[in-house]
Amino acid sequence: MQPKLTAKARCTDKEIGRISKVIVDPLSREISHVVIQVNHGGDRERKVPIGEIQEAVSEEEVILKCTSNEFDQFPEIDRDNYVTLKEVEIAHLEEHLDVEPGEILVPLPTLERGMPRRTFFANMTHAVGAMIALPLVFPVLKYLMKPMYRTFDNSWFNIGNVQKIKKENIGVQYKFTRGVKEAFMPEEKVTKNVWVVKTTPQVLEKVYGNKEKKFEDSTGKVVWVNKPNVPYVAFSGKCPHLGCGYKWRRVKKYPDGVFLCPCHLSVYDEAGIVLDGPAPRRLDILPMQLTASGDVKIIDIVYKAGVKEEIRLL
Amino acid sequence: MKSLSNTKLGLLVLWPTFWTGFPLKLVISLLLLAGGLHPWEGTGLKFLLLLSIPIDMWALGLCARTVLLERLHVEPQPGFGVRLWWQWALFSILYLPLLYYIVGAVVATAQSLSASIIEFLKQNVVTIHIAEQITLDLVLWGSVATLVLLLLLGGWFFGLGALVQRQVRVAVHKDGSFQDMVSRWDSLRVPPDQGLLLTAFTGGGVVLSLIFWGLLPVTTPHPHEEYEYTYVKKVERPVHPKEILKKTKKVLAKAKSVIEELEKKKKEEKKSKKTGGDVKISPKANQGKKSPPSLKSKGV
Amino acid sequence: MNWKPDTVNQATAFEKVVDFIDERVGLKTVQAKMLNEPVPGGSRWAYAFGSCLLFIFILQAVTGILLMFYYVPSTDHAYASTQYILHEVDYGWFLLSYHFWGSSAMVVMVFAHMSQVFLWGAYKRPRELIWLVGLALFGIVMAFGFTGYLLPWDQRAFWATTVGVEIMDKTPVIGDFLSRFLKGGPTPGQMTISRFFVIHVMILPATLMGLASLHLFLFRKAGPAGPFRGSPEEIKAKTDYFFPRQIWKDIIAMASVFLIVASLAFIEPVELLEKATPDPGDYHPEPEWYFLFLFQLLRLKIFGGEFGQFLGTIAIPGAFMELLAALPFIDRHPNRDIFKRPVALVSWIVVMLGILIFTVSAILNREFLD
Repeated sequence: MQPKLTAKARCTDKEIGRISKVIVDPLSREISHVVIQVNHGGDRERKVPIGEIQEAVSEEEVILKCTSNEFDQFPEIDRDNYVTLKEVEIAHLEEHLDVEPGEILVPLPTLERGMPRRTFFANMTHAVGAMIALPLVFPVLKYLMKPMYRTFDNSWFNIGNVQKIKKENIGVQYKFTRGVKEAFMPEEKVTKNVWVVKTTPQVLEKVYGNKEKKFEDSTGKVVWVNKPNVPYVAFSGKCPHLGCGYKWRRVKKYPDGVFLCPCHLSVYDEAGIVLDGPAPRRLDILPMQLTASGDVKIIDIVYKAGVKEEIRLL
Repeated sequence: MKSLSNTKLGLLVLWPTFWTGFPLKLVISLLLLAGGLHPWEGTGLKFLLLLSIPIDMWALGLCARTVLLERLHVEPQPGFGVRLWWQWALFSILYLPLLYYIVGAVVATAQSLSASIIEFLKQNVVTIHIAEQITLDLVLWGSVATLVLLLLLGGWFFGLGALVQRQVRVAVHKDGSFQDMVSRWDSLRVPPDQGLLLTAFTGGGVVLSLIFWGLLPVTTPHPHEEYEYTYVKKVERPVHPKEILKKTKKVLAKAKSVIEELEKKKKEEKKSKKTGGDVKISPKANQGKKSPPSLKSKGV
Repeated sequence: MNWKPDTVNQATAFEKVVDFIDERVGLKTVQAKMLNEPVPGGSRWAYAFGSCLLFIFILQAVTGILLMFYYVPSTDHAYASTQYILHEVDYGWFLLSYHFWGSSAMVVMVFAHMSQVFLWGAYKRPRELIWLVGLALFGIVMAFGFTGYLLPWDQRAFWATTVGVEIMDKTPVIGDFLSRFLKGGPTPGQMTISRFFVIHVMILPATLMGLASLHLFLFRKAGPAGPFRGSPEEIKAKTDYFFPRQIWKDIIAMASVFLIVASLAFIEPVELLEKATPDPGDYHPEPEWYFLFLFQLLRLKIFGGEFGQFLGTIAIPGAFMELLAALPFIDRHPNRDIFKRPVALVSWIVVMLGILIFTVSAILNREFLD
């Protein structure tokens, strides 16, 4: 039981005064001392360690272990060495202490008595608040999502001529420049990479498996079909693993040459099939057509990297 | 028993009634605007006025009851809101057009009077520059018009208050302290079935939000005439197969004639070389052989 | 005490989370102290203007942040990106128009809030500091309007800002420095738009949030002033709590403001003029509507000439603001009843009427120019 302020203090022989203050240890948050104001002693207040309290008879009275003569040995409090709780913040102190002289109560205004009024206005406030936010949700989401799903660009780009390719079944790099126009920005030129392979019939079969390859736009309409009898294949320059640029190289393990990606060492053969490395799928084939004079035209499709399926992004 | 002047009573009831209905009418107006209608004219206005009737009936009942309880310690009979609304509507339909006409006439007269006063001053007393003239003119006719308007509005409030006063005479006197009166009108604002109102309100709000989303235009209703869109606006051109055939025929015919001409020229060159005639310096003939325009099929 | 069997169900998951936080934060105590504030004389619609200002600011911040997803603050892209938002981004026109009209709503609400505080005498002791912080907030709101106006970089934006900065240039001593600082040079250009942008989206919002918190803290410390008349019995009978009563009135007022601003966005969506050019051409520069009365005042002959200009743009407005700041220290009489403060009432009416008359005059003046 914690001593109450203004509780009477008795020594073993007689009543000595009242508890006027309580001193708290800021670290342990326990009461370390009580300050007893001596009866008829004017302003005399003595600091008594809590251990000296023999028993707390009730909340109104405590009995000390000492006699009234021994009481005078306790030191007087030097008030300047202490601050009140209004001047210092001790965390969680209220949970440990209960030294108020009873609770301080404040009456509810008449209009706030009775729960129905409070709950009605509280609930209606929440409802109105939600109704202010709700109309904005859809427009804001659409606003933010506007550029996220752009329509596919199915324009053809001339990337060069097949005369460049001297040998069959090797990767030949073609660079082309295209314009990129984003929203309100002026058009910018970017250079991109495509790898073209002149294939023998066996390799061509590995590429297409004798089936046509259809390319569709976002609505599912077929934009182009690569026929399996054209002996040239154009591969997108981005590795399907994570989008790095790969190259045709001759390495010790594959002296005839392979497509090798330097980022995570995915290896593909001349048909684009994965030989080694973390690539989730084979090299991406681009829609391609050859003009009569041997110019190669492609649609610059970008596929999503890192997945097994072919998902078109642009 | 307390009493209030008619004018004050009219204003005391009208002011909260107007503002009580205001947010609900705003919701209606916004939906009308989203749908492309103007709530201050035409179909939109009719719609707004129609929906305002039940709103105003409810608001008037609630606010008038509040004023009567707090100020006069009386509680009117049930159905009082609707009754009062009819009386107010009838009175206003007669009074307000009159007010509008009178104020309009006063404004016109005051404006012409003010203009002639200013002309007189400018010619005979002192020069008045444009900015000063505008403000002086405005203050002269504006103050007169405002005064007349306020007086006539006072008359309107008087009439409204008198109609309320009639209801007060048949209302029931309520005993109790001021606190009792306040608690009484306060509890008028709490519905007996809170859950029902809350659900209905929220449900209605959700439905109206969905309608708003449907009506909201995706792009600006006032586009700038010189704005260039970044995407090519698809203009669907109707396909006429006959025209395409005609065009193709023309192209082929032209190509044919070009080839024939070139062949002619070739023959003439060969002839001139054989006969060794005057060397014609015609750089065009000696340029690299141009291949005839090929009719390659284009891709798709 | 009778022991009753525990018939109450286990605390729900939500209640458990709340208890977890409460044990560590003292959430319940804080919430109770913040919400259960008695409003003497009862909650009133007239007290809602301050909360409405906070609401408008939050929506301006939200719409402003959304606009920043597409707007580019450079002289070559500002106009194009703003037009892009209006014409091509889904509902961009609505968000931009809401942001534009929201700024006007904020100015109206500031006038309403200041008027309410003035008329209720709530600037008097012990609320002098709240009033002063409020005046600073008023200045910030005006600065928001001024800096934001330039960003679309069309003719209207460019020329209104040019004229405005020219006026500031006439401030004695610091005028030239101030105008060069704002313009980022001797003439307006890229540096200007960069500075106005950072001031508008970073410096002013941070300052406003800090000062608004201070304003609210001081208000809480002083407590609401309440009505200026009424017997103690009347005041006690109507007293209720901040939550839910005043908050209810606040949120209805906020909803009304939201609906009005949205309606304005439909009635007059933002439409840009041509892209800003160094030559004004046919365009007559005009400031935003809440500066029109000043604009019109400056057309009067008494404010012509160098001294007159100084008087009209710096001296008189400056003196007026200083008078407002000194108000709680000049008017020390504790009586707050507006009907017993004739000087205050008449001055307020005169100032409001003056602003109204000169605003209307500015609009009428347009016909003379066309």
